[in-house]
Amino acid sequence: MIKEYEHIRFLLNKYWNCETSLEEEKKLRDFFSGEDIPEDLQPYAPLFRYCKESRNSIRLGNDFDKKLETAIRQKEKEKQYITIRIFAPALKIAASIAIIITLGVGIYFLVNENRKPYFAETYNDPDAAFKDATYALEKLSEALRKGEEVSIKTLDELKGWNIDWTALDSADSTDVMDSVDVEATENGHLPQSHPRES
Amino acid sequence: MWQDVTFWLFNRHYIMNNEKFHHIILSLKDNLYRLALSIVHDKAEAEDIVQDVFLKLWSKKDEWNAINNAEAYCYRSTKNLALDRLSSRAIRKTESIDPQQEGYSFIDNETPHLHFIRQEERSIIYKCIDELSQNQRLVFQLREIEGLSYNDISNVLDISEDVVKVTLFRARRKMKELLEKYNDKRI
Repeated sequence: MIKEYEHIRFLLNKYWNCETSLEEEKKLRDFFSGEDIPEDLQPYAPLFRYCKESRNSIRLGNDFDKKLETAIRQKEKEKQYITIRIFAPALKIAASIAIIITLGVGIYFLVNENRKPYFAETYNDPDAAFKDATYALEKLSEALRKGEEVSIKTLDELKGWNIDWTALDSADSTDVMDSVDVEATENGHLPQSHPRES
Repeated sequence: MWQDVTFWLFNRHYIMNNEKFHHIILSLKDNLYRLALSIVHDKAEAEDIVQDVFLKLWSKKDEWNAINNAEAYCYRSTKNLALDRLSSRAIRKTESIDPQQEGYSFIDNETPHLHFIRQEERSIIYKCIDELSQNQRLVFQLREIEGLSYNDISNVLDISEDVVKVTLFRARRKMKELLEKYNDKRI
């Protein structure tokens, strides 16, 4: 027993000088967790007991492995989406370009469509088309004829007014109006109302 | 169909690596937990740190062969992450470690009296550890509790073996002094 204590004291001395091997340190720990410790070595016992106890009793909970596995599975799942995430900016740019191209092409064709002259066959029966066309042309010619008649009438009436056209051409517009007014009042007519009344 | 194929491929891959993961790395989980706990003094946070370290390792499983010392690598990652967490915390925890928080599970044959004595002893040790510097505490934890070699500790902490020895020497000296001081006080 005494010999063992001597050995321990020797080891302890080496221990304080950091000359002990890991095995010798384990020996010290084992010795100090025992019961028979001489008085002079007692102060150091708590240190070695603490080291041994910590190693034995501070442990992770039993559910740690399960938690870790869940976390790992979660991470693996996330990884599958990472590739998509990496290309996300590129995808955005590609999508923008695609939209711009589609819109551009669409607008180009739409505008082109509007520019084309509109020809469409709306009549199934050529006779009906001919009839309608004749009717429309007749209407037009009648309107033209009426217009012509009215113009001739107006010209005839203007001749009756005896306007001095040369004077009108040389004078500026205010003078013309004055001279017309004067002449018109002299003849007892208002120039504006004249064509309509007739 | 496509989903079935990917599921099969993924699962096979998963199982193969899972075995490796379990054997080499998961065996270290308690050691890493203790190291994290010695730095952050918070059980939930320490557990979170260990999980993060493992997740990081898992995501790098293709590079495992390139890591020549997986054990030191794990310790180092844990240490770095724990120190990061500690410094990012708004209020740094400087109060001494609460023995109740340390999560000791007691051996059944411990009598209440012995339990009390052990608890007192532990609180003395906590006080002593509190007096150590950050580096001394790390070296102390890795050597005395995890039982790492000087070479491994120098790998974990990125310092030379001589510095490890000097730091450990000072830590032990300080512990010795403090323990003797406490003993004198008790008497």
